[in-house]
Parts: sequence; structure tokens; C-alpha cells
Amino acid sequence: MTAPARADCSNPIEPAVLVDYWLALLPPPEEEAVEEHLLTCDRCGDRLRDTIALAEGLRALARSGSLVVVISDRFVQRAREAGQRVRQYAPPRGGSIQCTVAADDDLLVADLAADLGRAARVDLSWCDRSGVERQRMTDIPVGAGTDRVICQQSITFAKASSSDTMIARLLAVDATGVERLIGEYTFNHTRTIPG
Amino acid sequence: MNVEVSDADLAQRIAAGDTDAEAEVCRRMGPRIRLYGLRHLRSAATADDLVQQVLLKVIEALRAGRLREADKLAPFVLGTCRMTVLDLRRSARRQEQLLAEFGADLVPEPPPVPRLDGDQLARCVQALKERERTVVVLTFYDEQSAAEAAGFLGISEANVRVIRHRAVQQLRACMGAAA
Repeated sequence: MTAPARADCSNPIEPAVLVDYWLALLPPPEEEAVEEHLLTCDRCGDRLRDTIALAEGLRALARSGSLVVVISDRFVQRAREAGQRVRQYAPPRGGSIQCTVAADDDLLVADLAADLGRAARVDLSWCDRSGVERQRMTDIPVGAGTDRVICQQSITFAKASSSDTMIARLLAVDATGVERLIGEYTFNHTRTIPG
Repeated sequence: MNVEVSDADLAQRIAAGDTDAEAEVCRRMGPRIRLYGLRHLRSAATADDLVQQVLLKVIEALRAGRLREADKLAPFVLGTCRMTVLDLRRSARRQEQLLAEFGADLVPEPPPVPRLDGDQLARCVQALKERERTVVVLTFYDEQSAAEAAGFLGISEANVRVIRHRAVQQLRACMGAAA
């Protein structure tokens, strides 16, 4: 007995609804309707499997510590509660800090205190020791009413790096593109992982 | 047996003792039940257990002719899924008893969940706008609702949802283009 071909679906579930379904974000009546459909439609079942694969991939990626991304204080707290080893550095504004990363660290976090005030747009610029910009994070999300920016750096990259200095610059950018320095923070990274 | 055979036909044939129809119901419904289990139980192994338990209950009911409206097979399966998930949550012991009693004979091989290229996904996520990347990470790290991201970003939950959907759409396109 061979497996039959998938029947076409005349009313496929929207991709966004499948994501919300997987994340358990749908209101009960909508969730019920989705489940009734999935119990009769293998095409949408296949699409849900694709959604699950993407969601699982994103979860693994988010937990890997390999992304460069602005995160919330609560996120860092949850990572600690989940048993992840978080290495967090908070250099003073205008100052520097000695830092390293160990082989068993899971997340590397820069905690930048700043007066973000009324900046319409804030960029985070990562520069080398001579001040040459190596990476710019444009229009970063700034927490409501917060006075700090928490940025996860790639732990994978940090573990592979030799001793070096990186400078983070928080910049307010106005509508005409004019930049104003909000804060500068120097990270003196010393490699402690052998090899 | 092909896709043209309706659920109602299958239900009636099982009531008449047709074992091929039982196999077809297992083949047809097993993967769907498993998806339900993955969503509600968040564990592949427990979802497999759910498939076993639901199929056993469904086949027993069909054999006994307890499904009064033959064309309501899918709603009956869904209802059985819901009740069984509640049971599973209530009592792990009950689950073990059922599995010990019945075994894995009826369980079809589920379609695999596709695997993604992790390196490519990382590149795609890194190419998102900063706000989108933050929402994706906050959402998928441990499947938080939109509330935390909304609170952090100072925007509404509806806006977080829009940002998340836009990001996922871009990621799908990025992953598709890379495939």
C-alpha cells in the first residue's frame, strides 16, 4: 500500500497564524478552529512542521549566545534562571573594563549605562582599538524609560578571539543624520582560553 | 487505499471489522495527532505516546461502533486528543499503564520535522533589523508572549506581533532563498 498524494488545501492557514499557534498565542476559539483544520488537512500539517522547524531553530539560536543582539534585563535574568552561565560586563561611561570569556560561558553581555533621554534613534557602533568602526547596529531598540543598553555579543566569536580592545559607542542620530555621542565604553579583552 | 476514501467510509468499514481500514486511519491520523501532541506537550517522545493512546482509543471506539456520526471522525479524534492530553498531564502513571498494556504496533512512522541549516539561519537572523532581531530572540528563547517584548520596547503587544510576523516572513524568504 503506497502513501497517497497530499490533497490540496482550499483554505490554508496563514503562516502568521501557524506561528502564533505554535507559540500558544492564539485565543481559544481561534486555536480550536486551527486544530479542527489540522485534523483534516495534511498540507497545513506539513506547513506546521516547517513552522516548528523554524521555531526550534530560532530557539536553539537564541540560546546559543552566538547572535549580536540588544536584549532586555529580564532576558538575562531568565537565562541565569535557566542555568546558563552569563558573563556580563558593565564598564563606566567614558571608561574601560578588563574582560575575558571562559570556555564554559554561555552568554556574553555588555551592559552600557547611558542617558538615552529623548534620542529619536540610537545606534550602537563597535570599533577597534584605533576607533575604526567595525560594526554598526542601526536604530537599536531602547527600553522604555531605561538608562542602559544591554547588548549580547557573540560568545562563539569571543571564545575564538585573541586578546584585543573593542570600543562601543552609543550614538544619538537625529532626522538629518547628525550624530551625537551618548557614551563610549572600552572593553579590554584578554584571552584566557588555551589554544 | 488512497486519499479518496472518506473518513466516514473508513469508520463504517472498521465497525464492520475491516483491518485495512484501521491501518489507514492510523496512517492518516497518526501524524496529525502527533502535531497536536508536539504543540501541547512540547516533547517528541510524549507526542508519540499521545499518538499511541489516541489511536488505541479511537480504533476501539470505531470497532465498537461508538462513533454515531461516521463523518465526524476528525472531531472525534480531536476530542480524544484533548481528553488524552488532560489525562497525560494529570497522571504520568496512567500513561505508563496504557503503554505497558498496548505497545507500539499501531503507531505509524511520523513525517520528520524538517531540519534547518543552523549557520544559514544565524546569517538570516543577523540580517534582520535590530528591533526585529530583538523581538525574535525575546520571543523564541523560551516562547514568551508578546507582553515582555512589548514592555521592554515600549510598544503595544499588537505591534510586537506585527514585528514578529514580518521577521518570520523575512526569515522564511531568506531560508528559502538559501535552500
